[in-house]
Amino acid sequence: MPHRNNIRTLLIVDDSRVSRMMIRTFVLAKHPQWIIIEAASGNEALEIVDRDTPNYCTMDINMPGIIGTEAAAQILAKYPGIRVAIFSANIQESHQTRAATLGAKFVAKPVTERTVALALDFFESQT
Amino acid sequence: MNPLSELQLDTLTEIFNIGAGRAASSLSEIVGDQVKLSVPRVQLYKSSDINAEVLSLNGLRVGAVKQSFSGPFDADAMLLFTEERAMEIVHDMMGSQVAIEDVAEFEQEAMCELGNIILNACLSSMADMLDLSLDSSLPIYSVGATDLILSQIVSEADQPVMLVLHIDLAIEKHLSQGYLVFLLSSSSLRELLAHIDRFISRI
Amino acid sequence: MNFRPDYHTSIWEEIWDAVKLGLILIDSEGKVLLWNDWVAEHSGIPAEFASNNSLESLFPGGLSAPFKTAIKNALSHKLPIILSNALHRSPLPIYPLPITQHEQKRMQQSITITPICVSGKEHLCMIQIADASISVKREGVLKSHSERLSKEATTDGLTGAYNRRFFDERFAAEFGRAQRQNIPLSLIMLDVDYFKRYNDHYGHPAGDKILVAVVTALKAQLNRPTDVVVRYGGEEFAVILPDAEVDGGRIIAEKLRVAVADLSIPHCESKVADHITVSVGIAAYQPGTSCDATCLLKAADAALYDAKHNGRNCVRHLTSAEFSPSGLANEA
Repeated sequence: MPHRNNIRTLLIVDDSRVSRMMIRTFVLAKHPQWIIIEAASGNEALEIVDRDTPNYCTMDINMPGIIGTEAAAQILAKYPGIRVAIFSANIQESHQTRAATLGAKFVAKPVTERTVALALDFFESQT
Repeated sequence: MNPLSELQLDTLTEIFNIGAGRAASSLSEIVGDQVKLSVPRVQLYKSSDINAEVLSLNGLRVGAVKQSFSGPFDADAMLLFTEERAMEIVHDMMGSQVAIEDVAEFEQEAMCELGNIILNACLSSMADMLDLSLDSSLPIYSVGATDLILSQIVSEADQPVMLVLHIDLAIEKHLSQGYLVFLLSSSSLRELLAHIDRFISRI
Repeated sequence: MNFRPDYHTSIWEEIWDAVKLGLILIDSEGKVLLWNDWVAEHSGIPAEFASNNSLESLFPGGLSAPFKTAIKNALSHKLPIILSNALHRSPLPIYPLPITQHEQKRMQQSITITPICVSGKEHLCMIQIADASISVKREGVLKSHSERLSKEATTDGLTGAYNRRFFDERFAAEFGRAQRQNIPLSLIMLDVDYFKRYNDHYGHPAGDKILVAVVTALKAQLNRPTDVVVRYGGEEFAVILPDAEVDGGRIIAEKLRVAVADLSIPHCESKVADHITVSVGIAAYQPGTSCDATCLLKAADAALYDAKHNGRNCVRHLTSAEFSPSGLANEA
C-alpha cells in the first residue's frame, strides 16, 4: 500500500520525448504518487540534480552534449545516494561494464513494462 | 516533404536507435572491438527528389544491400555506402589478416552480411516497439555507378516515398557514413504511420 | 511447388539427403528436427544421434559466439540471417572429407539461416551450410584488377601521407559529423618554410627527402587513429583533428612545429633558422557557429598565412567564433 513517505522523486534523462513519456507512464502506473522530473540531456540533468536532488534517475547514453555514462558518473560522484539506472539502446559490453563500475544498473532498451520494472526493482532494493 | 509530426519522428528515431544499438552489438561481436553506430537523422523524401547530391553520396560507385520485407506494410529496405567506404568497412571487419587490395574478393559477401545485420536489427526493433510481425527476404548486394544504382532504386514507380536514415558507422579507425533507405508505397506509409500513432496513443 | 500426390511421402527425405549442401532444421527451442546426410558426413555425427538434441550439446564448445547469437536472433525475430565466409570462416565444427580423428582444419563455410513458418504452428529455423572453399578461390579469379581499390588512390606516392582526394572526402565527412553530433573539429594547415630556396640550393631529390621526413615527424606526433596527415599540395600539409577544441588543437600544432624543428635538418638558405622549420595555422570549428566546411578550410588557410607573415616557424590560430563566411571573404 503506498502511503505518504513512499513519495519518491525520479529524474528521467533521455533525448527522446517518446522514451521519457513511456518511462513516466510505466512508472506512474506502479507509483502514482511519485514526482517525476524530465531532462533531455546530460547537461540539463546535472543542473536539475543540484537544484532538486532526486532519489532515483534513469539515464540514456547517446544524447547530444555529454554522454549519459559521463553524466551518471558526475552525478554519482556528487550524490552517491542517488540510484541510477542506465537505460540505453547501446547494449555493447563496454557500456554495460562502465555502468557496473559506476554502481549503476544497466537496462537495455526498448522501454517496456518489463524493462521499467527492472529499473524499479533496482531503485527499491536496499533502500 | 515532411508530413511527420514531432512525436512520430521521435518514435521512428528511437526505433532506429534501438536497432542501431542491436546492430552495433552484433558487429562488435564479429570485430572483437567497440563499434559505434548511430542514426542521427531520419527524413522523409519523395523518391523522385532523391539523387546522389541529396544523399551526398559523392563516390563514383555505390554498393547497395537490399532486403524486401512484408507484414502489415511492405517495403524495400536498402543500405547504401559508397564503394570506397564499403571496402574500408569490410577491411576493418575482416581485421588485418587481409590486405586492402584483396578486400574486393570478399566485398560482396561481407557487405551482404553487414546489410543483413543492420537491416534485421532495425526491422526487429520496429517489430518489437510497434508490436507487429515482419517477414523478410534474404539480402542481395549490388554495386555500380552511383547514378545508375540510385535511378534503379527510384524507378520503382509504386513506391513514391523514401524514409531515409543517416548512418554513422565507426569500426576501428574508420568513420563511414551511409544511408538506410526504406522505399514505401503511399498505402504502406499510411499503414506505418497508423501503427506509430497507435503506439503513441498507448503511452 | 507441386508434386503428383503419389510421390508425396518419401521423396522429401531423398531430396534432403541428395543435396550437396548441409541442411539442418531446428525447432523453436533449438532442438534438431532434421539433419541431412551431408551434415552427418562432414560432422561425423549420424542423424539418429543428432535428432532432438540441441546444437550446443552436439557441438560442445564448438559453436562460434556470432553463430549462437544468429540462431537466437533468427528464432526470436523470425528474420533470415547470413553468416558470410569472409567474416566468419568456420562457425561450425564440420570438416572436409575424409574426416580424420585429430587436428583437422574446419571447412570454410557460408551459412544461411532462414525462419520457416509452419502454418498455425511454431516457427522453425533452417540452417544451410555451403562449402565456401571453392567459391572463395573463384571469386578471386573473377574480380578484375581494374575494379580493385588500390591504395594509391588515396595515398600520396612520395610521402605515404593521404592525398588531396582523400582529404576532400574525409574532411567533408568529419565536418558533417561534427555538425550533426555537436562536437568540435580542428584543422591544421602547415607549410615548410623557404622550401623553394631549399630545392634550389640542395636539389629536388633532397627536397623530396625533406617532405618524407616531415610527414614521418608529423605522424609520430599523432596518437589517435582518427587524426590524419594529408599532403595538401607541394610542400603544404593538412592535419584533420576530429573532436579537438582550439586549445587542444593548438597544443598539437605546437608539437608538430617542434617535431619538425627537432629534426635539425640543415637549411642554410632559410631566413628564420639554420634548419628546416614549418609555419602552422590552425582553425577550429565550434558547434553552434555559422561556419561551413569551406569556411573552416579558409580560416585554417588564413591562420597559416598569418603565421607566414609573422615571422614563420610559429603557430597561429582562429576559432569559428572569430570568423564568419563573410568576414573571411574580406580577408581573402
